[in-house]
Amino acid sequence: MSLSFKRAIDTVALGSDRPIRRLLAYYLILGGIFAALLYFFPIVGQIASGERLEELTQAPQVLQDGLTSGAFQSQAAKLPSSVQLALTTTLCIVATLLLMLPVTWVYMSARRTKRHNQAVVETLIMLPIVVAGIILIVRNSLALAFSLAGVVAAVRFRNTLRDTRDTVFIFLAIAIGFAAGVQAITVGAIASVIFNLVLLFLWRTDFGRNALVTTANAQQWAEPLKLLAEGNGQGNGNGNGKGDVAVHDHDIVLALSPQKVEALAARFDRVRRIAGRKKPRFNALLSFMTEEPALVQPILEETLGRFTKRWILDEVVSTEGKPTELSYLVKLRKSMPGDALMSEIRSVVGSKLTGCDIELSEALEEQEAEATAKASG
Amino acid sequence: MTRSWFAAAAFVTCVAASACRQADAARAARADSSMLAQRETRLERSLSQPDTAAQDSTADRKAIGRWIMPQNLDELSGIALTHDGRLLAQGDEKAQISEIDYRRGIVTKQFVVGHPTVKADLEAITVAKGLVYLLASNGTLYEFREGANGERVDYTTHDTRLGKECEFEGLAFDSTLNSLLLACKHVGTKHLKDDMVIYRWKLDESGSRLSRLTVPLKDIATPIGEKHFHPSDITIDPFTGDYVLIAGIEKAMVEITPDGRVVFARKLPGDHDQPESVAITKDSILIIGDEAKRRPAVLTLYRWP
Repeated sequence: MSLSFKRAIDTVALGSDRPIRRLLAYYLILGGIFAALLYFFPIVGQIASGERLEELTQAPQVLQDGLTSGAFQSQAAKLPSSVQLALTTTLCIVATLLLMLPVTWVYMSARRTKRHNQAVVETLIMLPIVVAGIILIVRNSLALAFSLAGVVAAVRFRNTLRDTRDTVFIFLAIAIGFAAGVQAITVGAIASVIFNLVLLFLWRTDFGRNALVTTANAQQWAEPLKLLAEGNGQGNGNGNGKGDVAVHDHDIVLALSPQKVEALAARFDRVRRIAGRKKPRFNALLSFMTEEPALVQPILEETLGRFTKRWILDEVVSTEGKPTELSYLVKLRKSMPGDALMSEIRSVVGSKLTGCDIELSEALEEQEAEATAKASG
Repeated sequence: MTRSWFAAAAFVTCVAASACRQADAARAARADSSMLAQRETRLERSLSQPDTAAQDSTADRKAIGRWIMPQNLDELSGIALTHDGRLLAQGDEKAQISEIDYRRGIVTKQFVVGHPTVKADLEAITVAKGLVYLLASNGTLYEFREGANGERVDYTTHDTRLGKECEFEGLAFDSTLNSLLLACKHVGTKHLKDDMVIYRWKLDESGSRLSRLTVPLKDIATPIGEKHFHPSDITIDPFTGDYVLIAGIEKAMVEITPDGRVVFARKLPGDHDQPESVAITKDSILIIGDEAKRRPAVLTLYRWP
């Protein structure tokens, strides 16, 4: 069921991964389902009628005949309204759930800090259901409302949320719960749609950032990052080869924080300074991936010492849950070209190496190309 | 089942459900119109039959119609007839007016008063000179025009300043005196505690607007075997111009002339839970409205006189 729903969203969103498109697709499908239900089962309309706000029924309404039916004498006449109440309540709560799901998606995705609070996500789902239930019970009764206030005062569930944005999400959850409770789910739906779209827009445009801080999107790094994202990089020293590797989620690249861009820029500059000179001290960048860096590093360095003119450890990148990346700048010997060196290292280190890569400086590449041409000519 | 089969089955289900829904709606509409015609015929037949109880003032008359009100009219507290004979009904807490076709038992129109809707202890309704008036128990009058179905109408208020003198429950319009009649359920003034009190509030502002009609309680309560008579609504008999009042607590009815002479006082016919409203139509029907108590709110129709 969920797979087919996901497929439906894919179809409506034209296969796009863009969050705004997928969100709109979700709401379109939801709206379509609601319209179909409304057409075939008009009782569904009660949750959107705002009936509880005004309680105006649609005229004309045929009244029950108290002379011919036994209903006048019996409370059983109210039974259908109880069934109706149960149905309406169920519909209200399901509608609340369906409207809060995309809000939680946006909450989990569109944020600048790495982690979100799982408790808040669960609260966002559960809170409006409870609120809707309470509003349905309280109805227009002042006595019930006062009772509720008394009970809530006794329970005490005060909590301080770390992020101001979390509070806004909680408010939205309460608003949607209220809307469902007074059977004005249209208000809740519109609030949900506009809230999500505005939030995505703010997140996407980095609205409200400090104007003095450069961003990955706007300044001098926009173009190289875009090339990197689209897989058209021209060997700019990022270790991914010569423009043949696309970064899958180019949104991630474009959303790099200024600090990360600066770190990348520093590395690019360092490599260029060392490897890009006319008579460079180093002419290749070697990258090795391993799960056991402590074990592999001495072997690697010993091998590099034997087969290269000189080498230097450029960077060690450790990421939780992923292999550690060791990057070396080396000056290759003419007797030991890059490919041969890599083969030698693979044979020495063995299976402890999960991946390796070599990037040659432009001058060395040209030499190798000439050598290959001569050999073939 | 392949995807195309699934889609085809869903499509066929939708078409079938759509057809059934339309057929159901048409069938329901036919059934409704047939039922409403039967109701009207039954009422006409009841009215045309000779009334054996007409001469007996204490007779327990049989109801000729009874309509059970929807839940939003559970607190039915007032009914009134327009000049063209349409019945308006109103609830106790919110100014939400319903027009009811009392001959066929159908709510034909609903509108609300004020934005936001007026909420007060509303006790009675009447129509005077094309305007509708609602009376709150503290003597405040809400004046507004009749709205269309689903409309929200504006209103003006008039404070009669009689809140301390009286707790009001009934309202009617005496066209000969051009005055609204405000029936007092509980009298706050000590020297009037042995009287049934009706205030008259003139609609034109020339001279003094307020006057009072008092009827000794013993003239009313004794014939019905009670000590008090607490009016819960008042209406005008369209044939005689007399004032007809009902009392919810005593479940009794009294007719008095505009100068205060008691024409009759008797117990209400039938079985009433909490009679709160009364109206008499030009086609000789007495309508008594009961608020929901043990049973849902109802409008009960009797022959008149």
